[in-house]
Amino acid sequence: MSLHRTSRKYHKWLMLFVGLQLLTWSITGTYMVLMDIDYIHGDTLVAKKQKTLTAEQVEYSFKELLEVHPQATAIELGFMLKKAVYRFNVDKKKVLVSAFDGQQLSPINEPLAISIAKELYNDKSVTIAKVELLTDNSPGELSGRHLPVWRIDFDDFASPSFYISANSGQLVTKRHNFWRLFDWMFVFHVMDYTDGEADNKLLLLFTVFAFIASIFGLVLTYYRLAPQHRPSKRSASKNKPSRRKLKDDKAEATNEKN
Amino acid sequence: MKKINKHKSKLFKLSTVKSLHKWLSLLVFIQLFIWLGTGLFFNLMDHNKARGNHNKQTVVTQQIDSQRLLNSNSIIAKSNTQVSEVVLVQRLGQPYYLLTHDKGLYSHFKSDYSLVDAYAGTELVVDSNVASRLAQASYKGSGDISGVVKLEPPIADMLKEKNTVWQVNFSDDLETSVYVDASSGRLVGHSNEDKRFVDFFFMLHFMDYPFLGEGSVGGFNNGQITFFALLTLAFCLTGFIWVIELLRKGRYKFN
Repeated sequence: MSLHRTSRKYHKWLMLFVGLQLLTWSITGTYMVLMDIDYIHGDTLVAKKQKTLTAEQVEYSFKELLEVHPQATAIELGFMLKKAVYRFNVDKKKVLVSAFDGQQLSPINEPLAISIAKELYNDKSVTIAKVELLTDNSPGELSGRHLPVWRIDFDDFASPSFYISANSGQLVTKRHNFWRLFDWMFVFHVMDYTDGEADNKLLLLFTVFAFIASIFGLVLTYYRLAPQHRPSKRSASKNKPSRRKLKDDKAEATNEKN
Repeated sequence: MKKINKHKSKLFKLSTVKSLHKWLSLLVFIQLFIWLGTGLFFNLMDHNKARGNHNKQTVVTQQIDSQRLLNSNSIIAKSNTQVSEVVLVQRLGQPYYLLTHDKGLYSHFKSDYSLVDAYAGTELVVDSNVASRLAQASYKGSGDISGVVKLEPPIADMLKEKNTVWQVNFSDDLETSVYVDASSGRLVGHSNEDKRFVDFFFMLHFMDYPFLGEGSVGGFNNGQITFFALLTLAFCLTGFIWVIELLRKGRYKFN
């Protein structure tokens, strides 16, 4: 069998098995490159504003805080809404206290979580569609280490959600439908249906076969489009039926006519 | 039945699909092989090595003597620029108040900080000497510091970083570079020859070529990849239709 015929045979057969995945790669890849990654990450949903700390807001010092909470690490003095607050870790758990009197404010309640979410949301006229406190199970789009967390769903384009930590009162992550779809696209792109990593055997198998199938395809491109082969092939199929072994080619000729 | 078939053949002619497939193959084949080859590489590569953290260690923290801590209010009052946050951090085993003047949504976004000694109240400017010591504290390899350079973004090893950094280079087998944020003293990260090798493959996979458009940006939202992605989509779609046609006509037979 000539290289041309071998290539056609293998290209045809291999693509029966990997063609759908190649189409999947191109669809998911196109989606991912077309969507701006900062938009996908919901950065445009978040209002950016800086607040200024003043001495009147901070009556309770770092020193006093460490005396009451000697285990505290990563102590941050910042804001929750208009209030100055401290956030710190105790055994990997976030604690929130008032910077005015040191009173513990965490975990935060539902109205407070809603106010924080609304303040952080770019569009001030937005309405809330649903509020839920997640304590034990996190959905796939949220890392379990952020629990407990308030999930605030907005009634807006692409169903955005803000996840507000109940312990720190901070936005830990955000999602909207185009990001959720992007995550699915990535799963199909790397063919990992368990943990979303690119080092699985299924992907290896398909990539190797797709590579081989594509090499045969390249050989076909050469025979179809290289100038010295194009006319000779035409004349061969018309004038020298003896060189064409077979129904395979005959069938193709009929196809061409259709 | 016949009517439907007629209608179908008007929708797209198979000969057009085939000829499109042939010509598109000529346009996309190089990038398609790059995508498959680099994809294969990502599948097989050592994901630990790819992080560039071979010589990285956790920085040791010291117990803070809370009695010696200055009141942060006096430090805020002394600052020339507005302060939105104060974080009690450690640098080289000493506590510092990290004053946030401007903060991006993520740590690699453009930000502005200053550091004040939490015991003495003196400002710490992250100069090449401080940067070298901070880098050394995060480094567990055996190399010596061979050079310290201040870099403005874009930074080849850390394309997403938007802040001015110190690059501290170590003379080890992996050519480790440690990056330290020039305003906060934060450890941005480590990089080495292993990571640079992987980064090269990402550049190819994302068509994030340094000589095209706005240069390498460490992402995949660029004009050239959008163009080739759409061509490849058309290429795969025509190929897929071809396979379906072959199946429909019973051309997949063992003999």
